[in-house]
Amino acid sequence: MIIGIKDGIKLVGVIIVCFCAVFVCTFFLNFYFDAIAVSGEVSIEMRPLYDAQLATAQLVCAIAGGFLSVIAVVMLVFYIKLFIDGNAKRFGLLKAMGYSSAKISLAFWVFGLAVFAGALAGLCVGYAVMPVIYDALTVDGLDIAIGFHAWLPVALVLAPTGCFCAFACGYARFALRRNAVIMLKGGSGVTRVKKVSTNAVQFLTDMRRGVLRSKKSAVFFVAFACFCFSAMVQMGLSMRDLGSVTMGVIIFIIGVVLSVVAMIMAVTTVVNGNLRNIALMRAFGYSQKERAVAVLAGYIPFAVSGFAVGTVYQYALLKIMVSVIFADIGQTLEYSFDVPIFFVTLAAFVAAYATAMFVYVRKINAVSVRSAMLQD
Amino acid sequence: MITARDVYKSYGATQVLNGVSVDVADGELAVILGASGSGKSTLLSVLSGLERADKGSVVCDGRELSSLTEKQLTEFRRRTVGFVFQQYYLLGHLSVESNVRLGADLVGNKNFRDEIAAVGLADKLKAKPSELSGGEQQRVCIARALAKQPRVLFLDEPTGALDEATGRSVLDYILKLKAERGFTAVMVTHNRNIAETADKVITVNSGLVTDVTQVALPKNAYEIGW
Repeated sequence: MIIGIKDGIKLVGVIIVCFCAVFVCTFFLNFYFDAIAVSGEVSIEMRPLYDAQLATAQLVCAIAGGFLSVIAVVMLVFYIKLFIDGNAKRFGLLKAMGYSSAKISLAFWVFGLAVFAGALAGLCVGYAVMPVIYDALTVDGLDIAIGFHAWLPVALVLAPTGCFCAFACGYARFALRRNAVIMLKGGSGVTRVKKVSTNAVQFLTDMRRGVLRSKKSAVFFVAFACFCFSAMVQMGLSMRDLGSVTMGVIIFIIGVVLSVVAMIMAVTTVVNGNLRNIALMRAFGYSQKERAVAVLAGYIPFAVSGFAVGTVYQYALLKIMVSVIFADIGQTLEYSFDVPIFFVTLAAFVAAYATAMFVYVRKINAVSVRSAMLQD
Repeated sequence: MITARDVYKSYGATQVLNGVSVDVADGELAVILGASGSGKSTLLSVLSGLERADKGSVVCDGRELSSLTEKQLTEFRRRTVGFVFQQYYLLGHLSVESNVRLGADLVGNKNFRDEIAAVGLADKLKAKPSELSGGEQQRVCIARALAKQPRVLFLDEPTGALDEATGRSVLDYILKLKAERGFTAVMVTHNRNIAETADKVITVNSGLVTDVTQVALPKNAYEIGW
């Protein structure tokens, strides 16, 4: 087998994102269809709150399902590209022996197993917490019983798994369209002609830029991690003012988990991809600080931007939810930007980011010249 | 310039150096000659401060390396030594110029383009390593190492990955630049012919120095066999 099952199910990032997406969609979709089934029993007084709950379920499913699916696709592309780059010699050898890109790419279906694992776990946990969610979403005077909808496992687990397996094969086929000889030499085979500045740039500046350019997907995931942390932590904490502590806790936890996973994935990739460069800088006498700055400092502006966009996003989303969804409810809900929560989140963000960087700086400083050079 | 006494080094249960003692004089080209697994590359790592000896003394440019803290050792490498590796280890995403600046910026050398010209690559300043031949890449490594104006240049099998013609050319650059600038050089090789270009040949076997020969009349890169 060209790619082992183990390779397919160790995509922790994809598993966690799929878990989160399916977890949220499971109980909201289940609630939505159980609530629809009793719509004839809804009195005129209950109608606004009932409609609001249905609208919330639809909106959350659309946002969580849609947004997280896109993230899962991006992560899958990221993993497959890394896998092909890391095993370029192996795939180059197969191509040299006569295997076509199409034939090799069929083996990448195993990457869809990560989606299956995450989705199945999300579905199971979603069903497990359903009573708690139904309590939180209850409409006084209306009895909405938990029903089982057999098509949910199909729609949330089997169908996405099939789609992602097909997507993994398709993307792999595209990514494998490289010259076999170049792959045998371990190269990506992608040569881009860039505009070259005539100004001589300091090495450390050039190195910092080069690290960013060589791992653009890591830039995305660092920004995404900070966006998730900012948006979902602030949103989770703000939800207590909007009367849904349970939903607040769920959003908070999902936000923290997603941001931690995305950050670990991005920075680990960057550091591992630069081990030899770090070792070389060490051999030449660059200090610990210089080595860490060259590899990690370039991501700070993107982290801050992610946090800022997340803050604006959560404010706009909550404002829209309050003004549109709850507009028809008798009680008036007011939502304004929560400054204390913003500063608490900012402080937590700075502390978490600094801690993550500290951990990776230690890892960078532990890179020995011998071990990095012996990778050949 | 370099004095090592009773140096021991092991990796786990594998004893690599078993009490090695060597001397390299100022301005000398010393070749450490040995077969694969003899401990020659480990000896180079220990002499250059890339790794610490488990036991014994290594004095390089007047500094006892075993007594230096990690920070002082980094500073020592920054100020004193340069490296050329068999596998080049160029930064693939940076141009030739930027790769050479890796060395030059450490000592504020503004004339780094002269170093590139000195190895015959003045017209390749903006090229990426992937656009260069093996010999050209190794010449960039030499320029990168010399751009930091080291007092001692350590070379680990610098021609090991090159064919004869390219290897001779690279060796010629090394010998000429050494003669011009007068730095001390320690080169590791398994090729007995290359050893004939040295002032001193230190033969290593099973982690021990088995022979030290002072060469009366070193040959140039085109006079030796290959």
